[in-house]
Amino acid sequence: MDVIIKSNGLNALYVQAAGRLDLDSAVDYGTKVKDTIEDSDITITEVILDFSQITFISSFGLKIVLELYKFMKERNGVLKLRGVSESLMNSFRMVGFNKFLVFE
Amino acid sequence: MFKTIRSKVIITAIVTLTFLMCAFACHTVISRMKTKQLMVQNYVYSLNSFADDIRNQIIRSEDNLKGLALTGGLFYKTYRNQELADKVIVKIFENYPETLGGGIWFKPYVFDKSKKYVCFYAFHNKDNEVVIDRSFESEEYDYPNQGWYKQIISNVTPENNIVWSEPYYENQGSYTLMVTAGSGIYVDGELVGIVTVDWEIDSIMDNISKMKPIERTFSLYKSGKKIRNSFALLGNTNYDYIISTTDPYLESDKLVGHSLREIPWYANNLYERTYITYHNKKYVPFVKKMNNGMELIICIPKSEMFKDIDRFYLCIVLVMLFLGLIIPMLLYVSMNNYIVKPIDKLIDIACKIGRGEDIQIKIEKPEEFAQLASTFDLMTKDIKSITRERARINSELAVAKSIQAASLPGVFPPFPERTEFDIFASMDAAKKVGGDFYDFFFINENEFMFLIADVSGKGVPAALFMMKVKTLINNLSQIGYSPKQLMREVNAKVCETNKQGLFVTMLACIIDLSTGKMTLINCGHNPPLLKRKNKPYEFLKLSPNFPLGIFDDMDFELFETIMEPGDSIYTYTDGVTEATNASDETYGEAKLSDCLNKIEETNPSTVIQGVKDSVLQFTDSASQSDDITMLVFKYLGPHNNIKTFKQEAKIENYKEFCMWLHKACSEWNISNEMTNKLDMCGEEIFANIAFYAYPEKKGNIEVELKNLNGNLIFEFKDDGMEYNPLEKPDPDINLPPEERPIGGLGIFMVKQIADKVSYKRENNKNILTLIFNI
Repeated sequence: MDVIIKSNGLNALYVQAAGRLDLDSAVDYGTKVKDTIEDSDITITEVILDFSQITFISSFGLKIVLELYKFMKERNGVLKLRGVSESLMNSFRMVGFNKFLVFE
Repeated sequence: MFKTIRSKVIITAIVTLTFLMCAFACHTVISRMKTKQLMVQNYVYSLNSFADDIRNQIIRSEDNLKGLALTGGLFYKTYRNQELADKVIVKIFENYPETLGGGIWFKPYVFDKSKKYVCFYAFHNKDNEVVIDRSFESEEYDYPNQGWYKQIISNVTPENNIVWSEPYYENQGSYTLMVTAGSGIYVDGELVGIVTVDWEIDSIMDNISKMKPIERTFSLYKSGKKIRNSFALLGNTNYDYIISTTDPYLESDKLVGHSLREIPWYANNLYERTYITYHNKKYVPFVKKMNNGMELIICIPKSEMFKDIDRFYLCIVLVMLFLGLIIPMLLYVSMNNYIVKPIDKLIDIACKIGRGEDIQIKIEKPEEFAQLASTFDLMTKDIKSITRERARINSELAVAKSIQAASLPGVFPPFPERTEFDIFASMDAAKKVGGDFYDFFFINENEFMFLIADVSGKGVPAALFMMKVKTLINNLSQIGYSPKQLMREVNAKVCETNKQGLFVTMLACIIDLSTGKMTLINCGHNPPLLKRKNKPYEFLKLSPNFPLGIFDDMDFELFETIMEPGDSIYTYTDGVTEATNASDETYGEAKLSDCLNKIEETNPSTVIQGVKDSVLQFTDSASQSDDITMLVFKYLGPHNNIKTFKQEAKIENYKEFCMWLHKACSEWNISNEMTNKLDMCGEEIFANIAFYAYPEKKGNIEVELKNLNGNLIFEFKDDGMEYNPLEKPDPDINLPPEERPIGGLGIFMVKQIADKVSYKRENNKNILTLIFNI
């Protein structure tokens, strides 16, 4: 899975990926985002995950989203999700993530 | 009508009686004839003796006349005394009462030269005293000139000294009809005078009329009665004149002295006749000639003569007729009472018993019927118990039939989860239980066996044998023999226990549902009809084998073919092709194949119903003679509702698993949403197994996805350590995110997404089954 992480030059990261976020790709996805934040010279306070091209999210995907949320929280940052389709939203609701995640 | 005992007995009685009466009638006629002959003979005897009496009387008269002539001679020669002569004469005639009178007449001047007329005449006066009449010695009478005197004197000769005169009327006052017999007085060969005796003819005939002999004859039956209308005739044939007659149709007075020929019946050849007809009446004549030329003829009316005897026989005939009528009537009545009525009663009771009424028969008389009735009673009881027994057997047969029917698979579709084929079968037993059967079952997951068979014979034995064979095949098929081996074993087992010599014709097919490869074994059964997709049915003539149960050591020839999706096979028993209609024609293979090809649908149940209707229409009202059994199998193609995945349980294989799952979903046109669900659950469980099932070794993961009746069954198997993920507690999804653990979400989601989740441990395998409702 190709993960494109863009920085706005300030303290925000924009993560774009397409396809399935599952056992096969989720770990890689999470690792890439975390690595980018850690490797960044600037303190990242906002991460926007663009899900508009994500077609499927499995429990592993959700787990990674939760990990990223916690990761950002530790850094006093915010995790935002953008373009979540209704079917993905169902998955978030199922596990109660809709209560704390920020959807744009 | 002449078939009943009653009529037969009556006819027999009438015939017998008729014979008896005929015999009796013959006897009567003969005896009557004989009696009449005897009677006639008796008459003849009687008349003979009567005639003899008359003749004797005549002889006596003539003797007396001769005596009188001698007396006259004596007078002439010796006495010449008037007084003495008178006394003698009176004495003579006093001894001669039947005469009227008589006298001695001398020729003129012969007795006394001085006297012309000398005669001595005496007669019976009215007081029956004999008195002397002297009035004839006179010129007035002049006896020598009287006819009678002249006739006698001129006719007498010394040889023939008696002369009977013609009858004449005595004109001396009485005018009675008289006859005179005379004789000459010869003295020394010289005729000196004559003597006469006079009879009143009426008195003679009175004697005759009294008919003593006839009365005597009839006194056998009744005495003292004169026969009516009989008459007698006395004539003198020497002179041919009638002396007297008692003929009631003739005036006797006018006929006397006339020729005998003037009487019609006399003239008519009297002597040649056994009877004469006179005034429309039959008379039996008796003719007797007297020695003095007289003839006595007596005619007795036949009816009178035999009147009494006829009356007697008439009585007998009437009695016989009466008996002839009475006896059949009595016979009829008694037979009615003693035979027909009991029989009618028995018939009536038999009818009632036949209708199921419970009646005891009571007949006391006659004894034979009482016995019959009690036997009948016994029989009724026996029949009742037999009927009960039969009803019991029938109900048992009905139970047997339902058991038999239940033993054949009867629920269609039998395997709804199997989409590879469609099957339908039916059996209509001709009797309560039949010898036909069909069966189908899976030999293993993939191979399906169906068969149709016909046990020789019918009824209970065939049904029992059928059950045995069916069970045998079913059991042996599960062992895993090859088709050839299976048939060999089945046959051997059937032979082993077959002591009754029954056998089974069978057509068995084993089809590999995944490939369509079908093996057929025909054990002497009717050839099936195979229909390839979009082609007509055709008979599949297979190499024939012996039926099962004949030789215990036998190999069966197999036939193999590939069934393409859409192909179907029609199997049946001979009950179909040998169904017979009222005109004894059989349905036959040609009609069957025609019928099948006319059915447009290939759906097995439609095909079977179509053939059934056709056979029923053919046989019409004729009763079904054999079981009719059919089985149709239609191959739809290899199953496509099960997808399996088997790989080493490691995370690297997840991608492959994912592709397999998505391929299945797109193949089955499963919605994205459902695919997502499967995806989500599948991933979690796959990961679980990959990560945890085999901590120390390598192992496999087996996944099966079934699309079945609106459900998706997702089954995961691994032979790793025992682990039931469902026991894991659910995470609290309401916790703040900081406190929520990273793990444990997956199985919770599975439980949320799947409609049903179950776990079982089987054969050292963890089996987790997820069911999704589409």
